[in-house]
Amino acid sequence: MVQLRHLWILMILAFLVLAPEILGSYKVVFLYLTFKYLTLAASYDIVGGQMGYMNLGHSAFFGLGTYAFGILFSKGFGVAISLGLSVGVAVLFALGISYPFFRLKEAYFALATFGLITLLELLAFNLADLTEGAAGLSILPGMPGDRLLLTTYYLALATALAALATNYHIANTRFGLALVSIREDEEVAEAFGIPTFRYKQRALMISAIFPALIGGINMWQLTFTDPEGAFGIEVALVPIVMAMLGGTGTIWGPILGVIFVTVIQELLWTRMPYLHLAVYGVTLLLVGLFLPGGLVEARRHLPLFKRLKAPVKMQRCV
Amino acid sequence: MSFTVFIQILIGGLLQGGIYALAAFGLSISFGVLNVLNVAHGEFLMLGAITSYGLFKFLGFHPLLTVLGVFPLFLLVGFLFERLLLRPIRANSPHEFLIASILVTLGASLMIEDVTFFLLEQSFISIPFSLPSLKLGGVVLPSIRLIILGAIVCLTLLVHLYLRRSFTGKAIRAMTQDKEGAMVVGVPVPRVAMITFGIGTALAAAAGAFYVILFAVTPSIGIPLTVRYLSIVILGGLGSLVGSLIGGILLGLTEALTNFYLGSHWAPASAFFLLVLILVLRPQGLFGYK
Repeated sequence: MVQLRHLWILMILAFLVLAPEILGSYKVVFLYLTFKYLTLAASYDIVGGQMGYMNLGHSAFFGLGTYAFGILFSKGFGVAISLGLSVGVAVLFALGISYPFFRLKEAYFALATFGLITLLELLAFNLADLTEGAAGLSILPGMPGDRLLLTTYYLALATALAALATNYHIANTRFGLALVSIREDEEVAEAFGIPTFRYKQRALMISAIFPALIGGINMWQLTFTDPEGAFGIEVALVPIVMAMLGGTGTIWGPILGVIFVTVIQELLWTRMPYLHLAVYGVTLLLVGLFLPGGLVEARRHLPLFKRLKAPVKMQRCV
Repeated sequence: MSFTVFIQILIGGLLQGGIYALAAFGLSISFGVLNVLNVAHGEFLMLGAITSYGLFKFLGFHPLLTVLGVFPLFLLVGFLFERLLLRPIRANSPHEFLIASILVTLGASLMIEDVTFFLLEQSFISIPFSLPSLKLGGVVLPSIRLIILGAIVCLTLLVHLYLRRSFTGKAIRAMTQDKEGAMVVGVPVPRVAMITFGIGTALAAAAGAFYVILFAVTPSIGIPLTVRYLSIVILGGLGSLVGSLIGGILLGLTEALTNFYLGSHWAPASAFFLLVLILVLRPQGLFGYK
């Protein structure tokens, strides 16, 4: 039975598919960037939101995807093969780091993963034979600019949708429920027979897929990356902050967060010449103080939002 | 390579590590008591350095004595920060508290960094101050660093005595080990939390006052320093004074040795490998409570 809500989603999707025909290229690039951040925020949410492990090094997968794609593509592999292999690299990497890192919990896990991207950035700087070091890696895209933008736009749209769909699907499986139980109380989950380590490992590997993919797509679109662009603070923190702003562990949280932040940034950058970071900081601070559950929680606290429809909550059993 | 060069490197690493340890311990006790991953810790070091510069430049303090003004001032700043920004979010569930504390401290640190950038007229500051070096049997010792190390040792001893002897100090240690237990025996948890955060902040600022004598300070040093201090805290274990000292010195030594043998661009990587190694072998840190 088709509900009104589903109709809205269909209309938005139709608009996004047709957008390049209607809008100018500036707006298309804007949408493309939104998809990029949406992919990163949504895939962060599997480990960071549903499972409750704050993976501050989530962008490691993005950076690995970026470099793997760039290196393979410049060696003459096709787009599809390069993208596939870069996803493979990131997933294997997730498998490898899961052994030491899942010995840690909570803030320790957050710190260690944050240290991880610093290390990867350093490696990208220092292994200059492979990555061209500080000068940055560039590729020849193999097609004219407007066609490239169009292709990567649709690829990014598809990736973002796939990431969201994966979240939604996981939330509705036994696996997803197990992740939530790990977040709420890992010892109890273990006692109930959930193979916590194996599930955590699997969640991390799944969450590595989409950032690596979007990393590769982004590399193709920009045709250039340097260590800062692949592993820097900006790409590491912004998607996580978006997910947390919107509300982790919910379907709508990352979407809301991404829209909120990108709109604020657009408004700020055109109106205010400086102190962007400060305004950004104050926003984070206020959300942390008053809406720690994220913007999706707003309706609980503010009478203004009371009559809005309830967001799709993932923790159905808790 | 001769023996004296090796000794030279060891001493350099040791001195560097001592400076690391002071701020790291500040982070460690506030982390141990409040469970807050304080991303803004490095910003307090930066602010402490700038305040110290201000005291030196406009009030004519001796560079090595600015810390006497900086410490009490930032004790107050820490009290206010805890009272206004951290206590309100304590009401949440543990997972939400972790998220909220990161949002709040990250937001605060971005704000502090940007506003400082905006207000500061120079791109970097440093206090020009130097003393002749000492020579001991072919080994050159930078005396300024030795004096600073001495000051740090004194400060550390004072904090150590405070934690061992005073009632509040004992309450802080009790809370690091077992919060509920501390509450049961009547520790006034909110007040102790505030005091702890104040001390942690003041230690960071004091480290900043020394930092500005040795290095140039820019508004953007905060977050990278926080990451470094956090790795020291993990290395040493939470709430352990000895742990922070050893962690800091270990990091200083590793960086100094990698610097010499592999080149300066590998030094941060060595610190990270050290960290992962410790985490795998001993997740609670070298001296942490399990």
